Amino acid sequence: MDIFADLMMGLSVAITPINIVYLLIGALVGMIVGVIPGFGPSAGLAILLPVTFGMDPIGAIMMLAAIYYGAMYGGTITSILLNTPGESATVASTFDGFPLAKNGRAGPALVMQAVASFVGGTVGVILITILAPMFSQVSRSFGPPEYFLLAMMGMLTLLVMIGTNWKLGVISALIGFALGTVGVDLETGQGRYTFGSAELIGGIYFIPIAIGLFGLGELFYAFYGGLHRTGTGAIVQYDKEERFWPTAQDWISTRLTMARSSILGFVVGVIPGAGATIASLMAYSTERSVSKNPENFGKGEMAGLVAPETANNAASSGAMIPLLTLGIPGSASTAVLLAAFLLWGMRPGPLFMEQNPELAWGLIASMYLGNMALLAISIFAIPLFVQIIKVPYRILGPTVVVICALGTFSVNASFIEMFLMFGAGIVGFFMRLYGFSPAALVLALVLGPLAEEALRQTLTISRGSFMIFIERTPSLWILGITIALVAFLPLLNRLGGKTASSGDAEKAGS
Amino acid sequence: MRIAFLVALLAAAVFYSYTAFADLGFMTRTGRLGPGFFPRVIGVSAILITLWAILDELRSGRISRDGDARAWADVAMLMALAVGYALLIRLFGGMVATFVFLAVTLSILNRGQLVKNMMVATLVPAFVYLLFDWLLNANMPPALIELPI
Repeated sequence: MDIFADLMMGLSVAITPINIVYLLIGALVGMIVGVIPGFGPSAGLAILLPVTFGMDPIGAIMMLAAIYYGAMYGGTITSILLNTPGESATVASTFDGFPLAKNGRAGPALVMQAVASFVGGTVGVILITILAPMFSQVSRSFGPPEYFLLAMMGMLTLLVMIGTNWKLGVISALIGFALGTVGVDLETGQGRYTFGSAELIGGIYFIPIAIGLFGLGELFYAFYGGLHRTGTGAIVQYDKEERFWPTAQDWISTRLTMARSSILGFVVGVIPGAGATIASLMAYSTERSVSKNPENFGKGEMAGLVAPETANNAASSGAMIPLLTLGIPGSASTAVLLAAFLLWGMRPGPLFMEQNPELAWGLIASMYLGNMALLAISIFAIPLFVQIIKVPYRILGPTVVVICALGTFSVNASFIEMFLMFGAGIVGFFMRLYGFSPAALVLALVLGPLAEEALRQTLTISRGSFMIFIERTPSLWILGITIALVAFLPLLNRLGGKTASSGDAEKAGS
Repeated sequence: MRIAFLVALLAAAVFYSYTAFADLGFMTRTGRLGPGFFPRVIGVSAILITLWAILDELRSGRISRDGDARAWADVAMLMALAVGYALLIRLFGGMVATFVFLAVTLSILNRGQLVKNMMVATLVPAFVYLLFDWLLNANMPPALIELPI
């Protein structure tokens, strides 16, 4: 009953006219960001974070969260109509989404992906509502040693998921850690790597780096790939089909798919580093293995579209659990969300839900509303998104440069930060080009200072002994879970990779 | 040329480590971890892992081909325009710099569409001004050199 009362309180906070407007804007913008190839939720969040500065914290966090999960809805529209995923989590949706569209079933595919996203997102929020307070309870006994281990767990799992390029991932993380050490050392007051600059005393701010890496870096990479020359390609004409709405058979045949993929997606989403992409690929693979007609997968099977769509949205919700209850982001997108919380002076973690119940439950309640809004937007605003897809990249690109530059400046009125953002953009391009991981860099930049502070506190408590990490029961648990994840996640990664390559092969063959 | 990028990172890691060892103490006078502890661990790890990656690259004998010249020309041009835009913002402020940047960039990327380009170059700064300065009360970059317009 407590949870229900908390949720009702959250709804009363979330349902104000201005918050609803912020939520709708966030959902729409998130979908637009998802529709644009090359830009995922992390890019959208980083670029638009400065826009939320003039708002009140609850409205701003609601809007940013809506951008985050809205991008998952939007990314699929291009997967279905263009065979081009808007971002990596919707790659699996091209396997059957595009064949469905080519078979004259684009309308039902678009509706079913919206419904699947809604189901995945809503089941995910229901599970957050139930599990987040439990996670909070468990993590209340955590101290600095556990926080250090959690930060390390977040980094390790992300690096394990990078796979064969792990060395480049570690280098990326070390760059992030190094950037995180710039500024005055809070314990001794000594400047580190400030080189006499007053602007660097406060450290390297997270936002210019995130906007540079995810906004400009991705844009430069898209230009390198020639997206401004080739255009978007031919869009399947969904509006000339006889039947727009799904058949009863579509609903009946996918109802268990939605249930299975929601749970699977959520569980994978909770694991730091695993994320929506792995969740969607795993759900696709699972669905094909339990299907009575596995041979139809890759040729336009509705369950093949519904499974990854449900899973990637449930995973986005799942990723909010470690963020809200442990203060540990498991991905680049949730790292940007964490930065947003920190900007408003709020520190997600074990006591967050207890100390900020209005914000925490307002955010959770807003996710129910956001998913409902997104269901309506993603069905009825399809013509709008098709028009956005048609905007040439050569016009969109320079506009993104403008938003990145002016958005970065608007945060602290700092030219240095703006120049830093341009620098990060250029470095981000080379990182993408040469197989490094901008996500690991950003995660390390956020987690680095937290980890350093926690480690120094830990060793002060233990008088310099590292044995504290195995003497405390919660620390031992976290160590055990980390070892299990490091052993288990490569299997998940391999399964995801296998699904992706077999999906591509089937598409090539069909 | 991934190896060139790795060598540049190695140079940065060596400089970072040198500063950590030369300027930042490992321990404080009270026997706690000092400001140099984390940077030293990061710096040494970065040097070792970057060297490993460079050796891997050399051992694999790959000669990386970084796309065609046209792709490089396009991205280099956009980067140069973006850097020019950053300098223009510092000199002439957000509004004027944005108009000039968009007008120049679109005239290169979107040739033969003068009217459309001018419309975008005018409407985008106007929209951004309305959003940041008027609606969100945020900062727009001021001009170092005021133009008589």
